[in-house]
Amino acid sequence: MPVVRIYTSRLSRMVGTDRKRAIDRLPYIGLDIESVEADSVRVEYSPNRPDFGTDFGIARALRGLLGKEVGLPMFRVHQSGITVKVDRRLSTVRPYIACAVATGLRLDDEDIRQIISLQEDLHNGLGRRRKAVAIGLHDMDAVKAPFSYLAVDSSFSFVPLGERHPRTISSILSDTVEGRTYGGALGKGGVFPVITDSKGTVLSFPPIINGAATMVTTKTKNMFIDVTSTNEKAGDDVLAVVATTLAEAGGRLGRVDVKYPGRTKTTPDLVPSVVPLDQHLVQSVLGMDLSLGEIKKALGRSRLSVKGKNAFAPRYRVDIMHPVDLAEETALGYWFDRIQPIYPASKQPGAFSQYEEYLDSVATLMAGMGMIELMTFELTDPEHLYASFQRPDGPGIRVSDPKSLEHSVLRDALLPTMMAALRTNIKSDYPQRVFEIGRVYSRSKGSVSETMKLGCLVAHSQASFTEAKMFLDSLAVTLGGIETSATAGEHWAFSPGRSARIDTGGSLLGYVGEIKPEAIEASGLGVPVSGFEIDLSVLYEHLK
Amino acid sequence: MASKNLISVLDSVQSRIEVVRSPPELELFRRVSASTTPLSVEKLREGFGSPQEFSAAFGRARGAGWIKVAGETISVVLVADPSGPQTMKTLIDHLSEGKPESDLDDEQASLISDLVKRGVLKREESRNTTVSLTEAGRKAASQTSNEDIVDRLTPEVLSSGSWRGKRLRPIDVEAKAPRFYPGRRHPVRDFIREVRETYISMGFTEVQGDSVHPAFWNFDALFVPQNHPSREMQDTFYLDGLSDVELKRVGTVAKVASTHENGWKTGSRGWGYQWNIEEARRLVLRTHNTVLTVKALAEEKEKERRVFAVSKVYRNENLDYKHLAEFYQMDGIMVGEGLNVRHLMGFLMEFYKKLGMSQVKLWPTFFPYTEPSLEVIGYSKAVDSWIELSGSGVFRPEVTVPLGVKVPVLAWGPGIERLMLIRYGLDDLRSIYGDDLSWLRGRREVARS
Repeated sequence: MPVVRIYTSRLSRMVGTDRKRAIDRLPYIGLDIESVEADSVRVEYSPNRPDFGTDFGIARALRGLLGKEVGLPMFRVHQSGITVKVDRRLSTVRPYIACAVATGLRLDDEDIRQIISLQEDLHNGLGRRRKAVAIGLHDMDAVKAPFSYLAVDSSFSFVPLGERHPRTISSILSDTVEGRTYGGALGKGGVFPVITDSKGTVLSFPPIINGAATMVTTKTKNMFIDVTSTNEKAGDDVLAVVATTLAEAGGRLGRVDVKYPGRTKTTPDLVPSVVPLDQHLVQSVLGMDLSLGEIKKALGRSRLSVKGKNAFAPRYRVDIMHPVDLAEETALGYWFDRIQPIYPASKQPGAFSQYEEYLDSVATLMAGMGMIELMTFELTDPEHLYASFQRPDGPGIRVSDPKSLEHSVLRDALLPTMMAALRTNIKSDYPQRVFEIGRVYSRSKGSVSETMKLGCLVAHSQASFTEAKMFLDSLAVTLGGIETSATAGEHWAFSPGRSARIDTGGSLLGYVGEIKPEAIEASGLGVPVSGFEIDLSVLYEHLK
Repeated sequence: MASKNLISVLDSVQSRIEVVRSPPELELFRRVSASTTPLSVEKLREGFGSPQEFSAAFGRARGAGWIKVAGETISVVLVADPSGPQTMKTLIDHLSEGKPESDLDDEQASLISDLVKRGVLKREESRNTTVSLTEAGRKAASQTSNEDIVDRLTPEVLSSGSWRGKRLRPIDVEAKAPRFYPGRRHPVRDFIREVRETYISMGFTEVQGDSVHPAFWNFDALFVPQNHPSREMQDTFYLDGLSDVELKRVGTVAKVASTHENGWKTGSRGWGYQWNIEEARRLVLRTHNTVLTVKALAEEKEKERRVFAVSKVYRNENLDYKHLAEFYQMDGIMVGEGLNVRHLMGFLMEFYKKLGMSQVKLWPTFFPYTEPSLEVIGYSKAVDSWIELSGSGVFRPEVTVPLGVKVPVLAWGPGIERLMLIRYGLDDLRSIYGDDLSWLRGRREVARS
């Protein structure tokens, strides 16, 4: 989740209230306060509320909540006369561009920091790491309209932001951090998108890097904004957020005609979205008999307006898509903390899952026999699972792109991770007797089957087959009078001649035996270990 | 032999007190009481080594009320209290005979440190190792067992009655006994038990299910768009090369797909993108248990239901003090005509009160599948701060309508580990699943309140 730093004196000035009151309300517009410093707070906001990416947007919402400025914010957009011509060859690479201008700006360092931070958050959120949407901000006085959204080849060169000499497209992609990081976000087509002015000066090579010529500073008075995308709606959404934020920062917005082959589209699109207001739906979701007037007032404080049967939401509110969303906006404007909770008493009794109760009983009995319960991880590493027992790296179930090898393969048995746990406890007193109830995974018919198993290990100088079998038999009998039968059977965890296959009522329950010395040695243990592993679902079937 | 438990070895430091000389005040008293005629102070001073020593002894004996001074012209010294010096006298006699300090009474013992300081007594310390036979050792040693003593009760001794009129050989009852470790359930299991009982007491039915699901049930059915960041491999565990090929765009799946694309009949605009069946087929380790409660909802469309699941969820995380790749969540849903956000708030406050968090705040937040969405924050006295407890909300129509559910559904998905850290006074999530026997064996069964 993105985080934005807000200076409290700036915020209280923008909202027109004291600092404490402004900060106290932040959680009630859905912002999580991450940390509080002497002069600032860091707040986390949802990527679905990109308008909270700057203090401009947060102040706008708080003014509404505190009743200082309510209803739909109005943004005047004048005619700029600027056009952008789109090259048809970009239709397979990065087809869409939406633009706006903001003039008459007087930005200070903090204004610029806020806007750049919003740009980064939009790139990562709605922009899906620039793949879907990328934003360019430019000092418009350094270039001359009209502009072109042009397809070029990899030998095309220009001076990228932060450099003094021209670089080719191919050099930018292979030799710069930005190129290597975001090159993958470019569509394939053999051509590359650049935005140029009427004299051929490069404004941007989206979504990689801007040109050096149009860098934004505190001296920038007039700004040109380009938003390129692979999804036209997402591009329009992002431009709406950026343009309205610049308007809050004092900019006068101007529209731009984007000339696609065969059509012209005027941007930015700041037309409010319309959602039918369903009074009954709002009442039933909130459980309050609010009058239409109360709902309208609350929606106004959430910066929406109601006209007739419809509510109008500002264009930057990309999260509003259904009439039910008006219920939450009403609750926010009404103030969430004013809503009275009701505890709904139950009309019917609850019920445990019988199977979970059974697992719980198994744990109680095993503990009663003197065992400590372990909970090892289901995702483990191939070293524990296979190598320690000299098993081949079978058809294990692996996860894609695990953050660490330690959690990369789903276990197919409990004993390996339990042995790994004993390895970390060699300094603890012996005898050690442990058990685990856990899920194991195996491949079945192109899919995955999951089984609950019980594993048990006893480790001490006298640990033997007989002790392990005593615990297994005693559990089965105590649990439900289940008799088991043992026949000699080999298992990869146990020494040959010291392991048995355990059956009950004609089904395989599991294996019991003495852990083979190779595995004991691999785990660094100095005492013999015996144990068993059984299928708890099979045992459960025989209980019924 | 000590390791075979036949003998016990006891190291001890012993101290002995030696009498260097008789205390001068005691000498002075003897002379006063032995004299047949009253002695003048001048006369009494004779025979003392130095005038300082006499003055000190005279002052002590007089101050303690043993002697008194009388007479008008010539001062004479008389006995004032014949039994006055008795305590000191007994002490000196006792120590001179080499008897142990431990036999002295408190009054006598209280004089020692002053006398040591004055050089009348001298303390000498010596280290001693005492070796004694244990019960087993005595048994082994004494074939020449006393007729009147029974070593231990055995079935034979009991059945023959040979113990009658005899006593059992005394054993060293103060020796240290070996440590025993009782078997114990995992603290996570005990905590889950408490959560389950809490749910049951509030009328909930428990469900359980697999950990592996097609992304469809984990994400799509919950209206999480296919390009949502939480669906990326860096957050979610996808099973390498595995997908549910049975999943087809028919029935519920088709309704969900259309809802993503254009809102279908839910009244929503939808996310506005081309939904892809391949993405929905990929198998994932569930990232929340709402997948279990939602499936229960899709399978049985009862009008009134309360369902919960306490199970593991999985996230592709690097492990650190506040992140685990596998952990437990205790998700629940409440279905019923007329349920609303106030009921959600009321339930959550009651639920956390039962789990020991009486101060709870509810703040608005965002989740793709709920509207409104609330975050539950609780005050922990143990760590003196507000902590995040759970996400919650009312299921969006985009979730319920395609599943054929026509009544409101309240949902929440709290973790359990954060509450456990507070309960056990830990600050690292990894310690809960560290499988450290010293903690699992040693943790207190009864928490300090």
